[in-house]
Amino acid sequence: MATIVRADVTRELVAPWAEWERRYTQGRRLLEAGTYALTEGAIAAGCRVFAGYPITPATDIAEYMSKRLPEVGGYYMQCEDELAGMHACAGASLGGLKAMTATSGPGYTLMHDAYGWALTNEIPLVVVDAMRVGPISGITGAPGQGEFYVARYCTHGGNFETIVLSPSSVQEAFWLTIDAFNLSERFRTPVTILTDQVVSDMWEDLFIPDAYDALDFIVPRKHNLMMPFFPLGTADLDVPPNLVGQGTGVCVSAYTHTEEGYDIEEMEAQWAQTYRLVNKIRHHRAELARYETLGLEDAEVVAVAYGADARTVKTAVREARRRGLRAGFVRPITLWPFLDELFARDCHYVVCELNYDGQLVREVTRAAPDKGKVHFMGKSAELHTVAEVVAGLEGVARAGRIPELPYIWTEVR
Amino acid sequence: MNRLARKYLRPSQIPTKACHGCGIGMIENWLLQAIDELGLKQEDVIFGTGIGCVGRQTFATWGGDNFGATHGRALAVATGLKLAQPDKKYLIVVGDGDAAAIGTSHLIHAARRNLGVVVICEDNMGYESTGGQFSPTTPAGYVTNSSPYGMVEPPFDPCDVVQAAGATFVAETTATQWHQTVKIVKKALQNDGFSFVHVRFPCNENFGAYALGTRDTGKNLEWIYEHTQGRKADGSAADFTWATGIKHDASNSRPEFTKILRDVNARVRAKAEAR
Amino acid sequence: MTATATGTKTRTEILISGFGGQGVVRMGQILGLCAIKQGHRVTMLKSHGTETRGGYVRAQLVISPEDVDSPVVESADVFVAFSAPAYKKFYDCCSGTILYDPEMVEEIRPGAPARHVAVPATALAKERFNNVLFANMIMLGALTRVAGLDYEAMRTAMPEVIPRFHEQNLAAMDVGYTLPVATGSRP
Repeated sequence: MATIVRADVTRELVAPWAEWERRYTQGRRLLEAGTYALTEGAIAAGCRVFAGYPITPATDIAEYMSKRLPEVGGYYMQCEDELAGMHACAGASLGGLKAMTATSGPGYTLMHDAYGWALTNEIPLVVVDAMRVGPISGITGAPGQGEFYVARYCTHGGNFETIVLSPSSVQEAFWLTIDAFNLSERFRTPVTILTDQVVSDMWEDLFIPDAYDALDFIVPRKHNLMMPFFPLGTADLDVPPNLVGQGTGVCVSAYTHTEEGYDIEEMEAQWAQTYRLVNKIRHHRAELARYETLGLEDAEVVAVAYGADARTVKTAVREARRRGLRAGFVRPITLWPFLDELFARDCHYVVCELNYDGQLVREVTRAAPDKGKVHFMGKSAELHTVAEVVAGLEGVARAGRIPELPYIWTEVR
Repeated sequence: MNRLARKYLRPSQIPTKACHGCGIGMIENWLLQAIDELGLKQEDVIFGTGIGCVGRQTFATWGGDNFGATHGRALAVATGLKLAQPDKKYLIVVGDGDAAAIGTSHLIHAARRNLGVVVICEDNMGYESTGGQFSPTTPAGYVTNSSPYGMVEPPFDPCDVVQAAGATFVAETTATQWHQTVKIVKKALQNDGFSFVHVRFPCNENFGAYALGTRDTGKNLEWIYEHTQGRKADGSAADFTWATGIKHDASNSRPEFTKILRDVNARVRAKAEAR
Repeated sequence: MTATATGTKTRTEILISGFGGQGVVRMGQILGLCAIKQGHRVTMLKSHGTETRGGYVRAQLVISPEDVDSPVVESADVFVAFSAPAYKKFYDCCSGTILYDPEMVEEIRPGAPARHVAVPATALAKERFNNVLFANMIMLGALTRVAGLDYEAMRTAMPEVIPRFHEQNLAAMDVGYTLPVATGSRP
């Protein structure tokens, strides 16, 4: 956690890497892409298997992995499709190796089958979704933020919570990937890194620490070798993942299961499994809060954005403050579970996101004290410009509404 | 419970919920016989299944480690697992839906890669757990609950598919051929590569009842036997013939997939160390 | 690195655009790496998707001693135009100096001739090196001079980005750096 007072405004970054950045100063400074940072973060976290299918704009992660993994004793596997990719990751993780896959929206939806399987069997792994504008193939090289809810409801059937993190810079992508692996181990669940075409393709100054082995904040893989394989009806954290291949008799399946992993068709068993899958996350929400804020001490109008789009939005908030507006900024880094507490302040909210249908804005509306003061600035295929967001913030501060702007939608139905 | 079941299976999980006269339990016994004759122990074998009759009835029966994948994806899971646990034997026991319909792409690519697993495709010629619909292995013309006017699609032979894709051991057998099946499974387990064993067995409740007009186990087994022989009991020709036996044996002729990846690692690291 | 357009501004925006194959992204990488080596923060957006099919390629660089928030170039201090479509498309994104290749951009907008610096990079690359591929390094040399950047640092950064032909690339940078039009416009 870090509170940095710069000029007249308080910036708060709440994330484990705020500490890591200060503690680890020996390393190289590079100009590299987000895909490189996501790859190196995974390698640093101990990822030793990548199984996936190339797709723009996540392809470079696959390419970097194919080069890097053999160097560290890991395995790169290019699968026949994304279904195979994520299932193979789940298999590798069941066998004791940390695993990751990376894709974009079209592949992410294909993974829902595997996502549910890994989630219900409490298999740690990390999935990167580099969002592009859609629906479906959309524009391959343009950013979108269409999978906010898809990532929350990453499989069918209900009765689960998910962990979804979103970086907004290349440097943050590096640390956040390590964090995602740590959380997936501690919570025994897949974690989605919901990034976008801009963060994955953008090149930026990137600090890479020397000697990954010396990083003491990596959560190592541990193994559970005995019953109960599934601590149903509990919300315990830090339960070691099960290991298939040591003859412990562990069973994992697609079915509602008993502590042994046997399939069972009883309401009580369904309740116990749901209690576990939902509450291991809900009861530890405090462990999952990662966010950045700016100027909340006096804000009358707060701009809300995540991922790459938060970059221009933040500049706009600084510009608005320079012009005398009491503007603030909230960037949720943890998207799910949703951080309701960031929206406790009774003020106007201007929610900027890269879709026209309005996704993040619905959650902000749910969490905000006054729903009438939540405004939407949807855009698609390009980041918001600083000028647009400043106009939006000024419009809300002066007239209580977003002015009409080309390519900006403000209606949420 | 017989000796082999006591030795290898999980008492709490058998007998399974399989229908009366289902061939799944019998075939599993034959698998145990092959495992036993090879001297394998519970901890030597990872048992993987999918969804459907075969998945549901065999999952968790094996006394060692088990996984039951989502429908069609047992081989995709096994591909990752084999990377992490390369020294185990893998018995992937799946039905015709898992192997030859929803999971065909994984089947083909596992064969192409020569992934070191044994696929036992237990084929009851349709989707019987959902009430008896046709599958890609239902013989053309036969009536099922989703082909009331006769199956209009031509079937394919999964053995041909995997052999074309590069499988190093391919065999076909049926629930009427005990000794042949045990012999084949033993050979399949001795191949350090992709082995495919296609085993047809009768479903009395659906395929038998609707396609063949009988729920009698003996009659349904006899129908299968006739088609392995190409002639009926009365001496007349059957409408088609299944050629059973070992169809392709190139066991241990090319490197196993995960071994190739381990070799790449060794080469890359040796090069790095030399630098 | 000092900003070009205004003395007080900490954020320098550079926009480079042209066709695929002209080395636009390479130029951006060298500029960015050079700035990083001098302790600056850098972002570089590159256009994506259509460049392999002959569309425009664009690199947007923001360089600052502090963290860069918006990576978008909305008001470039320097705009390098390597093609006529790029010049037209991004003219309004630039409030500073425009370096253009007259072989590619034959017509410039009337009204602001003082902002324009013609760098005949393609012609010089053909003439001196018999290879148009060196045009980007000639342009980089000229840009370094015009923008008042550290030339030695730029020469050091180049080989870390370009894998081959270092001597020729350095010679090409020298050609651009010593062009009268570059030295004359910013003494």
